[in-house]
Amino acid sequence: MKRRAFILASLSLGGALAARPALAAPRGQRGLVIHDQPRPVAAIDIRDAESRPAGLDTLKGKPVLLNLWASWCMPCVAELPALDRLKPALDAQGVALVALSLDRSGKVAVANTFARLGIKNLDIRTDENRVAAEKLDAPALPVTLLIDAQGREVARFIGAAEWDGVPAARLLDTLAAGTRPTPDMAPPPVRMGTAP
Amino acid sequence: MSGIKERHKDKESTDMRRLLLTLLICMAVVPAAKASEEARVSGRFLLTDMNGRTVTDEMYRGRIRLVTFGYTFCPDICPTVLNTLSVVLDHLGADRTKVATLFISVDPERDTPAHLKEYLNAFPDITGLSGTPEQVAAAARNFKVRYERQKPEGDDSRAYAVDHSASIYIMDREGNFLAKMPHMSAPDRVADRVRSYLAPVKAGE
Repeated sequence: MKRRAFILASLSLGGALAARPALAAPRGQRGLVIHDQPRPVAAIDIRDAESRPAGLDTLKGKPVLLNLWASWCMPCVAELPALDRLKPALDAQGVALVALSLDRSGKVAVANTFARLGIKNLDIRTDENRVAAEKLDAPALPVTLLIDAQGREVARFIGAAEWDGVPAARLLDTLAAGTRPTPDMAPPPVRMGTAP
Repeated sequence: MSGIKERHKDKESTDMRRLLLTLLICMAVVPAAKASEEARVSGRFLLTDMNGRTVTDEMYRGRIRLVTFGYTFCPDICPTVLNTLSVVLDHLGADRTKVATLFISVDPERDTPAHLKEYLNAFPDITGLSGTPEQVAAAARNFKVRYERQKPEGDDSRAYAVDHSASIYIMDREGNFLAKMPHMSAPDRVADRVRSYLAPVKAGE
């Protein structure tokens, strides 16, 4: 029944289809995605500025806000200052903020970007084996994972967001408290125009 | 569908309509259309590389090509496909010299050769290509890649998104179509695929 309706609709919309570029699959979604069930998070070899292990396992028992970014991703770079401002407040709430760079050149790219932006609070964290995008199922950047104290992904935000605003604070309160977020807590997205 | 829509949608209704259309394509159109469409993929192009040189697909003769389309000014989310390709090259090790990895910009107005060169500093061994809008359109047509420049948001006429598909194309040493892989393919799978094409080298080649 439903299928038939789809096919009929597709015939009538055929003209519209031809004119459009390839469209968003479910993977192309963005904004706040709250999972029906918390998901396990793949282990990733995260390193600090001295190349020492700094994986999520070193944060056991703490909720984590895990932001994936890269210096070549302008919207990622655009939201770093907000994350930087947010970090002290999160620390006070007992939430670890990890901004993980996927850059090939690792800490050099991170240090350069942090210096350019005047980042004060974020720590250098690199994806040593360059597997984070694949293992964390991130077809696009930035993406920010809300990981509970048991190490499970509760939700993710796809795209850049205003992380230091009031809506984000409500969302992050749920992370600190271990409660379930709701869709109305989605922080406003940040859009990039031209190059920063 | 392997395409990624590179743009934030303000209107839920548009989003929903597109999602519906995607479902429609997947359910009703793709299986029949896919095979014939891929059969018609040609890797021909006449473009400008990031050093300002005019290049054609002929200039990469003798090398397997890994090709993807995109643009650097992604306003809200950026596909990780170039990251994937650079990991593929790492997996290929010494075989990487047998592969030309090409990133064709669907946004030639902003992705000038100089800008592409700077941007691709982050991805050694990936060559950025651009050209006139007509040249880019012709290349995309040959690859059966679709893209669509969106209206700028706000007052800045240069702040626009470009919807596009972000598949990875593998072309043979003559530039003919071998395979199209989703942009989120695991890098080792893409590398394995490339190796499978590298293996049977004809005598004298």
